[in-house]
Amino acid sequence: MTWREHLRNLALVALCGFALALLPSALSVYLRSFMLFTMMYVVLALSWNIISGFTGYTSFGHVAFYGIGAYVCAILVADYGWFWLYTLAVGAGVAALVGIAIGYPVLRLKGPYFAIAMLGAAEGTRVVVAVWDSLTHGGLGISLPSAETSMETYYAMLALMLLTIAVAYAVGHSRFGVRLNAIREDEGAAEALGINATLYKLAAFVLSAVFPAVAGGIQAYKVLYIDPPSVFFVQITIAMALMSMLGGKGTVIGPILGAVLLYTAQELTWVNFPTAHLIAYGLFIVLVARFMPRGLVGFAIDQGWVRKGMVH
Amino acid sequence: MTTSRTLAGALGVLLLAGGAPAWANHRPNNEALVGGAISQTGRYAEPAGRQVNSIKLWVDEVNARGGLLGHRVRLILLDDKSDTQSAIKLYEKLITEDKVDLVLGPYSSGITEAVANVTERYKMPFVAYGASSSPIWEKGRRYIFNIVAVAEDYQKGAVHLAKQIGVKKAAVIGEDSLFPRQSGKGAKDWAKQLGIDIVVEENYPQKQTDFTALLQKIKAAGAEAVFSNSYFADAAAQLRQMREQNMNFKLYSSTVGPGLPNFPEQLGSTAEYVLGFSQWEPLPKILKHPGMDEYIAAYEKRFNEKPNYHAGSTYGALQATEAAVKKAGAFDNEKLREAMATIDVQTVFGRYKVNATGMNAAEGLTFQILKGQRRVVWPEKWAEAKPELPMPEWSKR
Amino acid sequence: MERSDVRSLYLLGAFLACAYALPFLVGAWAGTVRADAAWLGILTTVVVSGVMQGGVYAMFAVGLTLIFGVMRIINAAHGEMVMMGAYLTWVSFFYLGVDPLLSLALTLPVAFLFGVAVQKLLLNAAVGAPELTGLLITFGLGLTMIYTVELIFTTDFRTIPYAPGTIQLTSTIAVGRNRMISFAMAVVISLAVYLFLKLTRLGKAVRATALNAEVAMVCGINVRRIYLITTGLAAALAVAGGALVSIQFGFNPETGVVYTLQAFAIVILGGRGNYVGALVGGLMLGVLENLVSLMIPNGTAMVELAAYGLMIFVLLIRPGGLMGVKEG
Repeated sequence: MTWREHLRNLALVALCGFALALLPSALSVYLRSFMLFTMMYVVLALSWNIISGFTGYTSFGHVAFYGIGAYVCAILVADYGWFWLYTLAVGAGVAALVGIAIGYPVLRLKGPYFAIAMLGAAEGTRVVVAVWDSLTHGGLGISLPSAETSMETYYAMLALMLLTIAVAYAVGHSRFGVRLNAIREDEGAAEALGINATLYKLAAFVLSAVFPAVAGGIQAYKVLYIDPPSVFFVQITIAMALMSMLGGKGTVIGPILGAVLLYTAQELTWVNFPTAHLIAYGLFIVLVARFMPRGLVGFAIDQGWVRKGMVH
Repeated sequence: MTTSRTLAGALGVLLLAGGAPAWANHRPNNEALVGGAISQTGRYAEPAGRQVNSIKLWVDEVNARGGLLGHRVRLILLDDKSDTQSAIKLYEKLITEDKVDLVLGPYSSGITEAVANVTERYKMPFVAYGASSSPIWEKGRRYIFNIVAVAEDYQKGAVHLAKQIGVKKAAVIGEDSLFPRQSGKGAKDWAKQLGIDIVVEENYPQKQTDFTALLQKIKAAGAEAVFSNSYFADAAAQLRQMREQNMNFKLYSSTVGPGLPNFPEQLGSTAEYVLGFSQWEPLPKILKHPGMDEYIAAYEKRFNEKPNYHAGSTYGALQATEAAVKKAGAFDNEKLREAMATIDVQTVFGRYKVNATGMNAAEGLTFQILKGQRRVVWPEKWAEAKPELPMPEWSKR
Repeated sequence: MERSDVRSLYLLGAFLACAYALPFLVGAWAGTVRADAAWLGILTTVVVSGVMQGGVYAMFAVGLTLIFGVMRIINAAHGEMVMMGAYLTWVSFFYLGVDPLLSLALTLPVAFLFGVAVQKLLLNAAVGAPELTGLLITFGLGLTMIYTVELIFTTDFRTIPYAPGTIQLTSTIAVGRNRMISFAMAVVISLAVYLFLKLTRLGKAVRATALNAEVAMVCGINVRRIYLITTGLAAALAVAGGALVSIQFGFNPETGVVYTLQAFAIVILGGRGNYVGALVGGLMLGVLENLVSLMIPNGTAMVELAAYGLMIFVLLIRPGGLMGVKEG
């Protein structure tokens, strides 16, 4: 991609960011929440994409980092009286450490084994959090003191989203990204070429862990009550995976598109068809996975609308 | 390029979504909007369903009486799927988007705790009927009130009865979530007060089905009674596994399970002699609260079953709410709050008069399943039958 | 086996030994373990119960391991098939008045056809595709199944009151009658399938395809047909597991999720695609869970950790599991 194209993309993102920044005062609280969650899913999908799309290691347990971020924020704010923004940084740090701890052994596994191991890790984290009563209040959940207006969390999430997009874009278009793709395509060959696969995989994994943690923390501060089942919810990982797949795994625009479309569709159907929407959601997942595994971007490439490139 | 086109498309979708949910009518046709989210699917659906019945009954009756302050009541009941996050979102929507005049509470202590953060933020008062854990009221909240007895008292009767039959060691087990943990805490405190030693205290995860090892652990520790803070599935599993292993205890009590109508049917003779707690029973001759006969008759006619305590407590709370609205004279949050905090009314559920933190001094009933029927056995002033304790051994039944 | 293969097997064995010793050690430290006869009786009861539980778990796992072994697909809807089996049995019991065990004659063929349909319509596209495709398809299928069942039956818990009595094995060990019956059924069914795989031509074809699908094709095996049969068989086994569950525990639409995860753990432990491995793995998990619950203070809350912990450690030490080959 040329510099001009990069600049143009940057300008577009900045424009969107600007529009989103102006939006909240004009919206009702409900819509503000809706936008916040949409942005959150963009963050989640993009992060997941870094390890699973670019690097090809499908993680089925990424919700663990989200939950960790939520709990760090909740514990520090509710039990220790911290100011919430600082807790986000701590959450990111903890997630990074956990990412290294889990990632180092688990990234040695391939394909389906990695996916299942991550699922086990996420569920295991949930059980540990639930059992470690003294720190996390276990099944009682944590209630945070309610002081925020919905504006603060909105802006925090907006900032996070823009940051994540920037990072994902940078990763995708840099040599780092190229190497990740090489690992995805053929790890043996990549190593033969001198790429330290372990280091790169771990870096991608940790990078993909940090943003969900911050998102989890912001969400905890917004929703003001968390408990283990709600923040370590398997369906969040599924949503991340589905959104990336829907939009196009391994691209930058893919997860963004997928997140926006899927979350909006979900919200509309939920509001209007409360009972049937869950069945529709299940069917939707089946259909997308069955017929559109390369996502919208993949579809667009096939149709020739879009130049076939490495990353968009 | 794809990026620009699709980004523009995404922006378009966002703007469109902004216009999508169009429920912002406030008082069309001079109606009063009353709304809440309650679990119509998910694990709380069974008990919450009974609450929904009472809500619907009340709304129809209020409208027949001319509505609230002359406004016809329109009910919005959403489904939180027994999930806290959904409930939070729904209440935020109901309050800020649909602009309801009056809020109805959800079911379960966990969800009520989460929702209370929302209602407190928007200063919407309501009388809770689906929650009983005192921590909810110990946080200095001003806009939430309660009508039911506290979780900590659910096992009070059972513990007292255990003491009566000479139990010295007991076990307290329960699901790991807000309400069971609070009722467990209460059980422990009552046991301590009465001199019963708690030898095993354990929480188990929500979906636990196999209690063999836990029961063996309890037996090994020498417990004579089990105070189980459980719902339907876990209580049922525990009882069956006790029977399968020929494990005999002098007393077994469960908080929510035995109160559900089909518990005795689905378990048959395994449920016999089990103690349970009820906030209220449809026994007008014993409880003597005003209006009970009419309420029970109307409920039974419409829903083909007698109301259980979930239904009764809801109806009572709504009666109190109606009285508060009348006293406030307007759908004004502060006036409503003031009214709910100060009125003293008799409802089918009992007396509603709250203290400074918003809690009511309600007392519940402990019952025992005898010959497939729930019979109140404690406290003595309301007892219909004498408790048959200790429970006879499995082999002798 | 090559040297590194043998080494990893020893390592895994050592790990398992530690895993089983752990509850004892913690229990001894925490005082929940006693050395007298009465306590040993309790321990034996718990172990026996664990073995019986494990037998039923094994039945779930066997179907999953077949699908994984033959097609490399992770079936995230397996627990939901078990749940479906429980509901089918319940319906035959309460509406048709058929004994739950006899109803297997009705439900198993239905399950088989269901499995074949799922394979044909959905999973054939996932064979050979990246694992995410299979996972998502089956996950979506599972969700759809949960909510459809919820729509029909509501979330009320159901159970079948069957053979509630107890059997006294020795003076201190008692076992539920329905648990004994379930275990016996699980043994019978597992044996039947084992013989099928080992002795019949079709069974051998399935095993061959699991080893290497391309070579199997070259040998003249209709691989597509094998896929259909495998999923059909797996669905039938899951439904049989569901029938056994329905007479022991309460179930509702959402209880399947836990079974799926346990089945994964067992498949990993026993070895992908290895039938006997799944059986052994099931028994081992059942016993370990019960030991943890019995001896570790607050152990019942940690039972799930037993499954996940086992799973993760096995994956790290020897992804092929007990009976599989060491995989790189």
